[in-house]
Amino acid sequence: MPNVKITLDGAQYEVDNKKTILEAARDNKIHIPHFCYHDKLSASGNCRICLVEVEKMPKLAISCMTQVAEGMIINTKNERVINAREAVMEFILINHPLDCPICDEAGECKLQDYAYKYSKGFSRFVDTKNHKEKRVEIGPRVMFDAERCISCSRCIRFCDEIAGVHQLQFVNRGDRVTIQTFPGESLDNPYSMNVVDICPVGALTNKDFRFKSRVWEMSFTDSVCHGCARGCNIEIGVRNNEILRLNPRRNDDVNSAWMCDHGRLNTWKNVNAENRIKSSKIRKEGQLVEVGWDEAIAKAASELKSFGKNEIAVLGSAFATNEDNYVFAKFAREVLGTRNIDFCPHVEGTDDAVLIRADKTPNASGAELVGIVPQENGMDFQQIISAIKAGKIKALYCLEDDIASVPGIEDALSNLEFFAVHATNHSKTTQYAHVVFAASTYAEKNGTVTNFQKRVQRVRPAVTTFEQDRALDNFEMSRWDKFAAHNDKWGKGPRRDARPSWKIITSIAGVMGTKYKFNNADDVFNEICQKIDGFKGLSYLKVGVKGAVVKQNHVAV
Amino acid sequence: MEKFILPEIKDHHQIDVYEQHGGYAALKKAVQMKPDEVIDEVKKSGLRGRGGACFPTGLKWSFMPKGNDKPKYLAVNGDESEPGTFKDRQIFEFNPHLLIEGIIIGCYAMGINAAYIYIRGEYGKWISMVDKALADAYAKGYIGINILGTGFSTNIYTHQGAGAYICGEESALMNSVEGERGYPRIKPPFPAQRGLWGAPTTINNVETMSNIPLIINKGAEWYSKIGVAKHPGPILVGISGHVNNPGVYEIPTGVPLLTLINDPQYGGGVPGGKSIKAVIPGGSSTMILRGENLEGVNMDADSLKAAGSSVGTAGIMVMDEDTDLVRVLARIAHFYHHESCGQCTPCREGTGWLEKMLHRFEHYEARKEDVDMLVNVANQIEGNTVCALGDAAAWPVQSFVKRFREEFEKRVKEKEEINAA
Repeated sequence: MPNVKITLDGAQYEVDNKKTILEAARDNKIHIPHFCYHDKLSASGNCRICLVEVEKMPKLAISCMTQVAEGMIINTKNERVINAREAVMEFILINHPLDCPICDEAGECKLQDYAYKYSKGFSRFVDTKNHKEKRVEIGPRVMFDAERCISCSRCIRFCDEIAGVHQLQFVNRGDRVTIQTFPGESLDNPYSMNVVDICPVGALTNKDFRFKSRVWEMSFTDSVCHGCARGCNIEIGVRNNEILRLNPRRNDDVNSAWMCDHGRLNTWKNVNAENRIKSSKIRKEGQLVEVGWDEAIAKAASELKSFGKNEIAVLGSAFATNEDNYVFAKFAREVLGTRNIDFCPHVEGTDDAVLIRADKTPNASGAELVGIVPQENGMDFQQIISAIKAGKIKALYCLEDDIASVPGIEDALSNLEFFAVHATNHSKTTQYAHVVFAASTYAEKNGTVTNFQKRVQRVRPAVTTFEQDRALDNFEMSRWDKFAAHNDKWGKGPRRDARPSWKIITSIAGVMGTKYKFNNADDVFNEICQKIDGFKGLSYLKVGVKGAVVKQNHVAV
Repeated sequence: MEKFILPEIKDHHQIDVYEQHGGYAALKKAVQMKPDEVIDEVKKSGLRGRGGACFPTGLKWSFMPKGNDKPKYLAVNGDESEPGTFKDRQIFEFNPHLLIEGIIIGCYAMGINAAYIYIRGEYGKWISMVDKALADAYAKGYIGINILGTGFSTNIYTHQGAGAYICGEESALMNSVEGERGYPRIKPPFPAQRGLWGAPTTINNVETMSNIPLIINKGAEWYSKIGVAKHPGPILVGISGHVNNPGVYEIPTGVPLLTLINDPQYGGGVPGGKSIKAVIPGGSSTMILRGENLEGVNMDADSLKAAGSSVGTAGIMVMDEDTDLVRVLARIAHFYHHESCGQCTPCREGTGWLEKMLHRFEHYEARKEDVDMLVNVANQIEGNTVCALGDAAAWPVQSFVKRFREEFEKRVKEKEEINAA
């Protein structure tokens, strides 16, 4: 890549000649404000706030579309540039409703931030503001407020260029310009909610989240979406120990800056749901009854002991972490001695061209890698189900997976003499279980999942359970978490007596006479990294926030 | 002076009449020349674009890449939306074949096989007239495949606008032709690099193209001696407002503005013998001139530039002593607000703000500080926008307030007096 020398605000830099001024400045830690520019979309050059002075150019130039050239002398903060910037801010704000106090975007609004950073702090505008449509249901999942819109066109370009559907368009002219879908159509593509994230103002809001919380009242924890095998990087937004929303987190190797609407909306509601299993249960006289951990563990241990090795099968889970599956596979081999180890696949439809994968689980490849595979002469998933129906398999131990919802499985389950499950929520499957362990959701535990690219990615606890404390366990904290008084309702959100599956299995192993030295998820992962080839050389530190790819005898971080 | 663009010949719009008076001779001559020789001839003539920017036409043509390995296009701008401008319409009606002949020569010179004449939708009647003329020229073999047996082929299409001023901006015009929303494009890339459908494109005004046959017929030497040297040729001026004979007149460049307003063969003076308060010389976006400063100002690019305005589209608007200039400016501001496409922030928001402020001036509701604020808001638009519409909206405001500040201050004062009363 040929380099050119440029002068930026008086300092010399050598930069790639294909870069724009804005990109070259950004790469050198000089921030040039921008609304319409988004590095994952084509440039539109319309907001005009990124104007900079380039020597020998008579007019100010938009830095988002002006390519650097040898010897260019650029000024990003002299008086002329600042005046133009303040002018753009003033123009944008004259017709903006300035309704930050009731706007969902407040606190994470580019316009609000820039109003503090780059505007004069007052307006000379004394005339009547323009009025436009408010509360427009522009799509089934997105609301539009035309008065807040600054016509940056990011949402239009997102639909055209990323989602691949031309759903949004400007209509009208001048300061009457607004965004519309074609008559009778709506913003309903599977990625529609990303426009909420990239909207630099509160014009496009998330119907599911709007009015739920001020963003500064929430904590944000880096995690991974559990909606499919893509494993989109996300942030979990939590207030008062309840998840309120997910947002995509940038990872160019996985999901760019996006996630699908399904993942955003449907992969976490179970965490807060009424049907959460809040503590472990044993079936007594046909009913599941809450019991303490010790009783549930003792019951499972004694039941499992009562069956012969070949009468037992275990099902790991493509929804559980590598850590959970690893300990489970180890337990099945070493303690139960069974060869019948597998997990239930969940494949629906086909992969799309953007992010969505046909494999609807977050960790199928991880489960396999850490040992959830039939052992020599052992049965696979379908064989296990057939063997249960035939009465050959009498006891089944199943990790977090509602297997009964898969057609053809339910019949088999009633045939079992003993059925233990780890579950986060009541389901069809738990109706057949004799012991139900209250498992932590992915949002309540440390661990890793491995996506379809064999990229190991971290999940972190965002919601506390009985065994955790926000401050002591280094959770991400909101302002309220830190500063609310003890008599505030704050911090009194629902907590459940759930544990990560690996921990529950470790306890059962202990009762059955095998002590595993796993005190936390790191211990499990470290053993995975020692024992499993592809994981060698990895650690939570190396997995970091962007993940690391597992390869045969080779780990690329 | 002899009329070349709008000759006074009956039925000159008919192809037979046009041919009888030497029509299509320039085309026959041009196709005997090498394309580059045609471009050189246009360069030497000194012809400058008649669409407002006065850019040298031959130079513009020379920006087009040579060779025929990829498609190239010519777009002829007949959107004619600038208030005070109505000259291209006369060409469509009275001399469409001159335009068509010029376009074919231009296509030949630049190696272009398709040209679009973009005509504002409001000109329904004139679009039909141009279509008729095109059909006749096709029938005679002047357009189409293998023109005059030369092996050169080109097609010409009319394209009807849908009522937006912005589509007269050359890059918005291209989007409009492509069926896209009429938003100006960011430059660079310039049209000669990436124009219609991403291919090299030249955009010329209707009147500009109508000058081409003259240059080829009579030679660049002859043409360059018409009018003033640096901005030569015949030019159509549209005179409107407070004159006895409003209309379109063909003149050599450099005729004094006062002659155009007062001479009986042109504007014929101000009705009622009133004095001239102000003149907008080149369409509504050009800077207004005070009536008492018109002496020595001529209708050509350099003279008007020296006087602090520009020749624009040569749409001269005359305003007599009784004209309410605040109201005039409010109306102009309304136009640019109405026509701003809304793509970029300063123009989208600024044009509306200007109109709102001027509405207050018009109704004696302005504050003292609004006079300077008006100019400041215009300054904040100028130069910071995607296209020249922002400038077009700013210049009238800047020049009206600069040259007629007292008219605006009066609106403030009178309000104060009303309050006091």
